[in-house]
Amino acid sequence: MITGIGAVTVVGDSPEALHASLVAGRSGIGRWKRPRDDRYYSQIGGDLSDFDLAAHLEGRSGSYSPELVKRCLALMRAAPLPPRLVAAVALQAYHDSGLAGAIVPDRIGHVMAGHNVNAGYIIQNGLTFYQEDPDYIEPLFGLLCMDTDVLAATSELLMLKGPSFTVGGACASGNVALLAGVEMLRAGRADAVLVTGAPIELEPVALQGWALIDAISIRSFNDAPEQASRPFDARREGFVPSEGAGAVMLETLSSARARGARVHGELLGASTVSDASRLTRPDLDGQVRAMQLAMADARIAAADVDYVNAHATSTPLGDAVEVAAIKTALGRRARQIPINSTKSMIGHCLTSAGIIELIATLLQMRHGVVHPTINQDVADPELDLDFVPNRSRPAGIDVALSNSFGFGGINACVAVGRHGK
Amino acid sequence: MTRAEIFQVVKANIERIVEGVDGSRVTEDVSMNELGADSLQVVEVVSRSMKELKLKVPRTELSKAQNLRDLVDLFEKADAGGA
Repeated sequence: MITGIGAVTVVGDSPEALHASLVAGRSGIGRWKRPRDDRYYSQIGGDLSDFDLAAHLEGRSGSYSPELVKRCLALMRAAPLPPRLVAAVALQAYHDSGLAGAIVPDRIGHVMAGHNVNAGYIIQNGLTFYQEDPDYIEPLFGLLCMDTDVLAATSELLMLKGPSFTVGGACASGNVALLAGVEMLRAGRADAVLVTGAPIELEPVALQGWALIDAISIRSFNDAPEQASRPFDARREGFVPSEGAGAVMLETLSSARARGARVHGELLGASTVSDASRLTRPDLDGQVRAMQLAMADARIAAADVDYVNAHATSTPLGDAVEVAAIKTALGRRARQIPINSTKSMIGHCLTSAGIIELIATLLQMRHGVVHPTINQDVADPELDLDFVPNRSRPAGIDVALSNSFGFGGINACVAVGRHGK
Repeated sequence: MTRAEIFQVVKANIERIVEGVDGSRVTEDVSMNELGADSLQVVEVVSRSMKELKLKVPRTELSKAQNLRDLVDLFEKADAGGA
């Protein structure tokens, strides 16, 4: 069962705000707010560098105890952006779940999706080390250079004492972490597990790396950034990197029932498979297998699927392969259901994308509406499914799939259902 | 740089980094542990103060400091040496 959700994205700092923006078709993509150097290519993306954790927590002062807020700010005092975002979404999901005090800390796990989380911080300290003085690097660099510090700080904040580890799967990290969380519950190692999706701080070196391998949008939309993320559209030219974090609380049915928890939905099944290839080239077979295995794990048939939250990053080849994969995995059902791209509005949140898109899926399910895929101007004749172009519309969703396909041929899919269906 | 200026930088960092510390208790006679700082906070106060004061004291020397007086002594000595 999913009993808690939390999100901070470029279109809203709560799940409800995210959903409202998505349904309204509002893009959060803009020019980078950080001072930039004209020698590198990337000019646009989803930028949360002005996220203010203290103000964020103050805005929720009715939800969190003053002691919790104080502890959070103390733990995050010297932390860069990604851990601050993880702390914010973890608090939201934990509070939303209402399980404080209901489950002993030893039985609550924590799985964090993400890797290279503090890369920007590491690079900055490298500059200090080499250009200034080795003694002047950040005093807590020895902790913060490891992804597990982001995990540990949040585990300390919420006293999560069950199994706790990070999961890396490139852009599929979120879904791989959800699989790890489900398996932790199925194995009986915990009664609840917080699955957090950490962002990657979008520093210029990584942006340049992605530009050099022609993965991101750098050419046509620098003067109209909100139009850059246009999955399935004929003018798509690459993904639009973005910052954002999400968290969900997974809980066993018996635990959720015993305490009368509100249930957002049920994580019915999950899968991950490899293309056995380090290339960024998407593989039809791997994507089909991921979707089929997730459905098998969930014990559902293609005919049961009402909606697909596509990986759909706005790359020319990636979107085309995914559409082919959906057609193969779902057969005739693929032409009967809405398929959309949350990334068309919030960009590609990379390691946290799977968690945020699961939350977007749950809220569409709850509210009986599918959000649009925006920027659908010039149809690509090869891509002929219902992508919910430009306008949201009512839709009854009982069962959904959410896809995530990452560099290195890591494909992962989750199946989610309305509770009780 | 005067000794008082060095002490003020250290004191300001302690007040910023060690939660809930009573500023009136921050004198040269006490140690940071006595003020409630944990080991990471001690490292942070020392490192940030050194960087702010543009000083360098080897870690092997810093570990000998028993209280804030010893720490300020080391900083003062480094400042004099670097001047």
